[in-house]
Amino acid sequence: MITPLLLAEAVAAAGVSGSIALGVAGMGAGIGIGLIGAKAVEAVGRNPGAFGKILPLAILGMALAEAIAIYALIMNLLGK
Amino acid sequence: MVLSFDCEMDADTFPMNFLPILASGGLPLHAPTYFSEERMGVPYLEWLTSSMLATFLVVGIIIYLARQATRQLEIIPGPSQNVFEAVMVILYDTLEGIVGKHMVGKVFSLLATLFIFILTANWFGLLPGVGSIGWGHVEGSFRNIAHVEEPILRPTTADLNMTLGMALVFMCFWVYWTFSEVGLVSFLKHEFGVKGGLTGAMAVMLAPIFFFVGIIEVVSIGFRPISLSLRLFGNVFAGENLLTTMITLGNTLGMPGWASALVSVIVPIPFYFLELLVGLIQAMVFVLLCSVYIQLSTSHDEGEAQH
Repeated sequence: MITPLLLAEAVAAAGVSGSIALGVAGMGAGIGIGLIGAKAVEAVGRNPGAFGKILPLAILGMALAEAIAIYALIMNLLGK
Repeated sequence: MVLSFDCEMDADTFPMNFLPILASGGLPLHAPTYFSEERMGVPYLEWLTSSMLATFLVVGIIIYLARQATRQLEIIPGPSQNVFEAVMVILYDTLEGIVGKHMVGKVFSLLATLFIFILTANWFGLLPGVGSIGWGHVEGSFRNIAHVEEPILRPTTADLNMTLGMALVFMCFWVYWTFSEVGLVSFLKHEFGVKGGLTGAMAVMLAPIFFFVGIIEVVSIGFRPISLSLRLFGNVFAGENLLTTMITLGNTLGMPGWASALVSVIVPIPFYFLELLVGLIQAMVFVLLCSVYIQLSTSHDEGEAQH
């Protein structure tokens, strides 16, 4: 019970405006999509003929990883 | 006797002439997702919201184009028939590769319809006029940017009702296909049963663990319609808000009239391309995920039939 009040005080004192949940979710999504992209490009580099098979898989993985950030965005837009 | 309507409208919120005002400032940032459009006093049409009107238009466009293309089917197709054939063949081959030959006949009609509808609905929301023509109030003179509060048309998939409806329909069909293909007992064994080929005492000891794994699996299956609908809704709604913010960027930064008009034409161009791409990707992801869910629960039929 005390900890959320402390957290809110810390956030207000630091002058943070905006949503921490959205920030953390965006960071996680960015890292995830970057990793998927890196692995996809590496796979195409190892086997350039498989580009047509790798591309839908990579896009699917990126959309799934980005969905978590979208959930946080919706919560933020609806007023937490 | 005098009949009187009770319209519940404030005289200072809405202009008393209901002519739609052309506005280049679109939705406010916290755009509500639908409006009750027929509030002129017609009580039976309250379900007709802006996005439902856009839904009817999208469906009308798809049906009209499809009928035009398949009017006279020929062996060597003309251009419009060729487009539809290409879409059908690509979808069929992709879905057959994922779902398997034994399921693709039943599954293809729903998933292909979902793909074409979601794609057309996403791209329909990018047309100029969707979300920016409607009722509102004018700030200043006519040359200033008006503020639209009730658009006439809104993108279909930017309405959580629509995406949730599509996801729930898919889940109902998923349940039906799973149970008709695999059977109730086999499905329960697949979820809660002991995996890995263990028999005997080890199986009895590990059974509670697998039971709880099955419970978690059921929760994850129950989460699927929520994630499907929220992903599509979030992407399209956020894209719509992003476009609106970019278009009204000059106005919010307080630039003079000519500069804000120039900015509102040039700045959204890359974001329009982004929204085109996002619309295509989200439709593809929705249908690919649906087909993967079907494959996950109906696929072990093949493994057992091969011996």
